[in-house]
Amino acid sequence: MKLIQRDGEDFVFHISKREKRLLLEMLNLYPLIPTAHHRVSRTASAKELGECQKLLEEALAERKRENKRQLVAMLNQERRFKEADGGYRLALGTVQMDWLLQVLNEIRVGSWVILGEPDEKQGKPVKPTTESLRHYAAMEFCGRFQMTLLDAFERQK
Amino acid sequence: MTETVEPVVLPDIEKREQTGTRNDLEPGYLVICWDDPVNLMDYVTHVFQVVFGWPRPKAKFHMLQVHNQGKSVLARESMERAEHYVHQLQSYSLHATMERDA
Repeated sequence: MKLIQRDGEDFVFHISKREKRLLLEMLNLYPLIPTAHHRVSRTASAKELGECQKLLEEALAERKRENKRQLVAMLNQERRFKEADGGYRLALGTVQMDWLLQVLNEIRVGSWVILGEPDEKQGKPVKPTTESLRHYAAMEFCGRFQMTLLDAFERQK
Repeated sequence: MTETVEPVVLPDIEKREQTGTRNDLEPGYLVICWDDPVNLMDYVTHVFQVVFGWPRPKAKFHMLQVHNQGKSVLARESMERAEHYVHQLQSYSLHATMERDA
């Protein structure tokens, strides 16, 4: 996937057929992070910030429902991907790009959480199993798509 | 990078502030972003720009602080505003929390 055209806040990417299939497969995984993973504080007691924790979980659950709804709408929108040059043209505005980044990162972080939060610097590598490789691949693929979008944002400057 | 991306601002913040207790309104909470091995550095910079409306150098400074020192204090706010920022940052799947300023 690469940026081929930019006009103000409108971006057009070329995406190959294989990349499109991969992107849609990744997006279908959304959402992955369990609500309980989100903590409002590291130190506060349940008594002090219990209400804040509840509000955080509710707000994120609501946002994820809305994101999923938008995602399904986007994936079913035929004109979103226009066939060209053996692949597709994907047109996105900055708001959509930011939203897509958010969704892809949820899948990336969610895959990492499912993998047991590996951290090579801390001597906690990914344990290679068939299942873990699937999530590891999702992490890496989402990261690649994110870098393309972030690079496009950077070029906008 | 994202000058044209509008910072996320909820329109009901000021209204909610009016209803809080004095303690809630005092800037006694720190909004902290913690390091993790999964969020991409450029992504973290991007999120700081969007959520706080910061210019790229400031966003990058805080991103590097997170990366090198394990955490960065992003803001010192009232409980309600700190809560708002934590909601925004966590909606981007960053590891952000609010902690009482000792």
